[in-house]
Amino acid sequence: MRFSHLKRAAVAAVAGAVLVSLGLAGCSGGSTASAGSATKGTVNWWSWTPDNDLAGREIAEFNKQYPDIKVNYKKVPIDNYAALLRPALASNSGPDVFTVNASGSFSGQTFAAYAYDLTPDIKKLLGSDWKSKIAPTGVKAFTIKGRLVAAEWAKVGAGNMWINQELFTKYNVQVPKTYAEWKTACATFRANGLGCFAEGLSGTSGFIVDTMHSILDSVKPGLWSDLLAGKAKWTDPAVVQAYQLLANMQKDGILDEGGNGIMQYPDVNNSFLTGKVPMVQMGTWYQQYAATNSLEAAVKGAGVDPATTPKVTIIPIDFPDVAGKGNPPTLFTDPDAGQAVNAKSKNRAAAVTFALWLGNTKEGQQVVANNLDEFPTLNGVEVQFDKVTLVNPDAQSKPLAELTAKLKAATEVRSYGISAELSQALITAAQNVIGGKSASDQVAAIQTAATSGQ
Amino acid sequence: MTALPQSVGAATTRSPRRRARRPAGLPWILPALVVSVGILYYCIGYTAYISTLDWDGASPLQEFVGGANYLKMVKDPIFWQSLQHTVIFFVVSFALRVVLGFVFASLLHSRLYLRTFYKVLIFIPVVLATATVAPVFRLIYAPTGTLNQLLEAVGLGSLTQLWLSNGAFALFAVITIQVWQSTGVSFVLYYAAMGQIEPDIVEAARLDGAGDFRVLRSIVWPGVRGTTIALAILTAIDSLKTFDVPFLVTSGGPSFATEFLGTQIYRVSIAYAQVGYGGSLSIVLLVLALAAAILINVTARRRERLDV
Repeated sequence: MRFSHLKRAAVAAVAGAVLVSLGLAGCSGGSTASAGSATKGTVNWWSWTPDNDLAGREIAEFNKQYPDIKVNYKKVPIDNYAALLRPALASNSGPDVFTVNASGSFSGQTFAAYAYDLTPDIKKLLGSDWKSKIAPTGVKAFTIKGRLVAAEWAKVGAGNMWINQELFTKYNVQVPKTYAEWKTACATFRANGLGCFAEGLSGTSGFIVDTMHSILDSVKPGLWSDLLAGKAKWTDPAVVQAYQLLANMQKDGILDEGGNGIMQYPDVNNSFLTGKVPMVQMGTWYQQYAATNSLEAAVKGAGVDPATTPKVTIIPIDFPDVAGKGNPPTLFTDPDAGQAVNAKSKNRAAAVTFALWLGNTKEGQQVVANNLDEFPTLNGVEVQFDKVTLVNPDAQSKPLAELTAKLKAATEVRSYGISAELSQALITAAQNVIGGKSASDQVAAIQTAATSGQ
Repeated sequence: MTALPQSVGAATTRSPRRRARRPAGLPWILPALVVSVGILYYCIGYTAYISTLDWDGASPLQEFVGGANYLKMVKDPIFWQSLQHTVIFFVVSFALRVVLGFVFASLLHSRLYLRTFYKVLIFIPVVLATATVAPVFRLIYAPTGTLNQLLEAVGLGSLTQLWLSNGAFALFAVITIQVWQSTGVSFVLYYAAMGQIEPDIVEAARLDGAGDFRVLRSIVWPGVRGTTIALAILTAIDSLKTFDVPFLVTSGGPSFATEFLGTQIYRVSIAYAQVGYGGSLSIVLLVLALAAAILINVTARRRERLDV
């Protein structure tokens, strides 16, 4: 009798816990998705790229063909993408279409369990020989255990640099091709109160990995591919030399100091596009800012009035021969992204229509190509530079066309196969040498990360 | 008239009245009970279960690895670095929060013009979202940022630093941002505690010739001991769960110089997709938080007993 209240409380507590557990289980369970209509519905698309204005153009072009499919685009910062996507896909209210990378923490492999198999649909669209009509690297990257988990959408390249043509002209600086020329160029800029080559090493985006790749290609071409394939060790003396060169670049006034404390996006990006920095290393996606409308949108996004800010003429250049061995500059490329369809989507059919349209139709790929931030992967689609309003066509047309040709011909892998741990180890090593630590002390940790990341 | 047996009267008149006086408590606490038992402990239990798995958080494949994640943690130099930063963070931020909170509360208990305005000013940082504060501080601490510009303007250009690029200074920057944001809380707690001190005691001390500093040292400071202990516990827990400031300002760098358990859990769980390992770090964080709270309480009670 004395314990009747306690007994009741205990029973109630257990009942409560059971009720909550059932509720949680109910919330986390998957639901069967109906396909819906292939030409009607609302599709929520999440991605880290493109910028909102470019996505708007792609959606507008899509709606010319499919006016009854409403696409809502949500741009998620790349550093938070995996963190936001994971719980969203686990729930029943995630995006209908989500972009995935070829490798890394938000790759097609990582989220394959949530992705709908697009193989039957792409066969219907492109025929049974569909693999021959798109870039083969994308087919490989986005096919997981026989399932096509994402439709390849575009590829990007890296290894080139971008300069502010106005600053180079103003201070009569020649485009550097060697380490010595680069040092001279930067000395001129610094004498006039500017920085020179800005790079942001903070954050997890890892653009410094592209810089290390460029430096290593200058030291020993082909080694990067061997390292990623496991055919060489990261303790190779060439890797040590590459990191030493990075340290020298800061010591010799080429690389701006303070890189460890700033981010490539938004800090370096905003500084370059608002004319404060002469040189950056960004990939081919950056050519979008050669177009007037994209540059204005980016400047506005940086919190600056585009109407009163002089427009920067950005020109692509090759990465200088920093090792002095005469090795040619390289451009390396990966399938940048694929569009995956959420298997739990309530508008799955419409989502498939949109995902495949972007990367596998002439119309979709043409608008992607003309946006300049991505390179089309559907055979036969080229950038129509005559339809793009460049900031300075006289100065930019030829270099951009040359960059496009180089990207088309590029075969060296950029980062496909780099695990998140390896990427972090490469970034940490760069931060350490920038911070004054010895280059030779860094490579063992990189090799450990490469081994465990596999 | 036959008298009723006493027991009958007792049985029929006592129980219904007692039952009517005592309200049923269970329905009132059931919602809180469901939340705390059902959600909180369920989550803790599930995290403990995940910590025994090798799992990426998305795949249906989960491999049971037992205590391997905990063993990995013991061998992980970044884990020990994170703990070291947590200890430094706790010591420095606790000291600063206590000093600043106590001083501000003392000043605002004195006759000061615009006291309400100062109270609001001190408390505003507490209500600002870290996501809005972090970019501002990144600009302040940038190589050409406000802090360096200010130092140069006052002739202290030799003190300018690459604040966020240098490991030691980056940790200092993270601590100062956190202290700036949380001093308002310690101020409010001390202000309220000082208000509870009997004015007669202070008056008596003044009659005995005690000055301001003596009153603060011998009467006010001991009188707010409970608040100081509470702040110690809160700061210990805050130090262990620090995430937003280092994540948004320095991303845990450079070279893990501002890595804390919170940022490490995020990095291994999300970027590395090692949810099992992240789970083991989370369990350890929980254990450390409990241990810190118990230790501080026990130490404080022991001191009280000694004083008595």
